[in-house]
Amino acid sequence: MTGDILRIMLLVLQLAFVAGLYLVLLRFAGSLLRDLRSAEQTQLASRSGIGRLSVLESPEDEPPAGSTIALGPINSIGRNVNNTIFVEDDFVSTNHAMLTFRGRSWYVEDQGSTNGTYVNGHRIDRPVALSFGDELTVGRVRMRLDR
Amino acid sequence: MRITWRGVEFRLLLPILLLVPLGFVITNIALTNAFEPGPLHLALGYVALIVGAHLSLVAFGHRGDQLILPAVGAMGGIGLIMLNRLPQDLAGTAALGFELGMAATQLLWFGVGTVVMLVIAIGLRDDGILRHYKYTWAAVGIGLLAATLILGYEVNGARLWIDLGPVSVQPGELLKIVLVIFLASYLAETRTLLTDARMRIGFLAIPPLPYFLPMLVLFGAVMLIAVALNDLGTALLFFGTFLTMLFVATGRRSYVLIGLVLFVAGAFVAYQLFGHVQLRVEVWLDPFADPLGAGFQPVRAIYAFGRGGIFGEGLGQGLVTLGGGLTIPYVHTDFIFTAVAEELGLLGAFALLGFSAVLVFRGLRIAALARDDFGGLLAVGLTASLGLQTLIIIAGNTKLIPLTGITLPFVSYGGSSVLASFMMIGLLLSISHRSAIGADTEAAK
Repeated sequence: MTGDILRIMLLVLQLAFVAGLYLVLLRFAGSLLRDLRSAEQTQLASRSGIGRLSVLESPEDEPPAGSTIALGPINSIGRNVNNTIFVEDDFVSTNHAMLTFRGRSWYVEDQGSTNGTYVNGHRIDRPVALSFGDELTVGRVRMRLDR
Repeated sequence: MRITWRGVEFRLLLPILLLVPLGFVITNIALTNAFEPGPLHLALGYVALIVGAHLSLVAFGHRGDQLILPAVGAMGGIGLIMLNRLPQDLAGTAALGFELGMAATQLLWFGVGTVVMLVIAIGLRDDGILRHYKYTWAAVGIGLLAATLILGYEVNGARLWIDLGPVSVQPGELLKIVLVIFLASYLAETRTLLTDARMRIGFLAIPPLPYFLPMLVLFGAVMLIAVALNDLGTALLFFGTFLTMLFVATGRRSYVLIGLVLFVAGAFVAYQLFGHVQLRVEVWLDPFADPLGAGFQPVRAIYAFGRGGIFGEGLGQGLVTLGGGLTIPYVHTDFIFTAVAEELGLLGAFALLGFSAVLVFRGLRIAALARDDFGGLLAVGLTASLGLQTLIIIAGNTKLIPLTGITLPFVSYGGSSVLASFMMIGLLLSISHRSAIGADTEAAK
C-alpha cells in the first residue's frame, strides 16, 4: 500500500519536474522573442552606416591593404590630399573618381582620370551603379564595397 | 560601477533553482524507497553558487547577456542531478583530507569554474591581451599539446591526461579556447585579404595561399597532434570550429567546400591507417556484431534509450548498475546524455537540447552585436565549439555518427571540461558586456 502511494507520488513529482523544465524553456522562448522584436525596431530606427571600402591591394600602402574605410554619402578618390579618400599611388590621378550614395544605391563616376576607373575589372566610361561586393580599382589600388 | 538589476536573468533562474532540489528529492525518494527527501546539501550548494554568480554580475553592473547564465544553470543542474544519482564512487577526489564523491567533486569544479567565469566576465575590460598576442596564444596551444604528448598518460587508448599531483587535467580542453582566440585574432586581421579570391578553377575560388599559410600550418600541426594523441572527437571539434569561423569571416562557401573535401580525405586516410578508427566505424555500423566486446557500450546505450521511452523511467529508477558494474561504462562522462534520456525520457532529453540551443542562439546573437570583427569572430568560435561539442557527443550517443569520447558541456563529469566551458561562457559574457557599453556611449552622443 505504501509502495503504491510512493510510486504515485514519484510519478507526480517526476511529471512536475519535466513540466518545470518545459516551463523554463517556454520562458526562454518568450525572452528570445521579445529580444528579437526589440532588435528589429532598433534596426529600423537607426539605419546608420551606408557602406565601407575594404582595401584589397595597395602597393604603396596608403590606404593600407587589409584596412577598411568608412564611407559618407559623397566620397572623392584621388592623389590630392584634399580628397576624402586619399590614395598614394603613381597611377592614380589628382582627382580620380567620385563614389556617391544616391537614393538606395552606390554609384561611381570617373573624374577624367588618366588611367581610368575599373569596376570588377571593366573600365567605366559613365556613372555605374555598384552593389555590395563589387570591386573598384583605381590605379594599382583594389578595393571592395562592403556593407 | 553601478548596480544593474538583471531582471530577465533572475526570473529565468528562479524556476531552475527550484527544479534542482526537486530533482534531488525525487532521486532520494526513489533510491531509498521511503518518504525521505534525503541530504540536499549538494543541491542547495548549487543553488547558492548560481545565485552568487547572479548577484556578483548584478553588483558589478555587468551588462552582458541575461539568458546565458540561466541556460548554463539549467544544463549544469540537470548534470548534477544525474551525477548525484549515479554511484558516487565512480570518480572523486580525496585531496586536502576530504573524501568527496563524484557529485560533490563536480560541484567543487562548478564553483571553481563559476569564479573563473566571473573573473573573466567582469575583469576582462579590454580584449587587447587576447587580440594582440595571437602568436603567443598559438605558442601556448602548441606547448599544451606538446606537454600532453610527452607527459600525458593514456586513459582508454587516448592520451589526454596530465597528472598534476592532486588533480589530473586534460590540456585539450584549454587548447580549444586558445585555438579559438588565435583564429579569431588572425581572421579578424586578414579577413578582407582572405576573401579576395582572384584565382578560380571553374566555379571554385582558390584561396590566396600566402595569407592562409600561417593559419594552415598551425592548424594542421594541431590536427596532426590531436590525431596522433588518438583524440578524434577533439580533432573533429577543432575542424568544425575552424570551418565555421572561416566561413563567418570570409563568407565564402567554396572554402567550406574545400574544407569538407579535405575532411573526407583526412577521414579516409585515418580510417586506412588506424585500427581503432576502423573499429569505431564497424561498431557504429553494427554494434550487435560483437555485443559483449566492442559493441558493449553502444548496445547498452541503445537499450537505455529504449527503456527511457518518451516519459523516462523516472529519476533514480533507471537501470544504472547491473550485476555489480555499470550498465553503460563511462555513463558519467561520455554517456551522460544516455542516462538523462533513460531517466527523464525523450521529453527530458529534448529539454536539455533546448537549453543547449538557447545557449548557441544567444552566443550567435552576441557575435552579431559585437563591436568589432575580433569580438564577433571570438563569439562565433566559442559558440560553435560549445554547440558542436554537444552535437558530436549526442550524435555519438544516439548512434547517428561513430562515437568519439568527448564530454557534454556542463553536464558530463569532468573538471577540465567544466572549467573550460565556464571560461568560454565568461568570454562570451565579457564580449556582450562590451557591446552593451558601446551601444550606450553611442546613444549618448
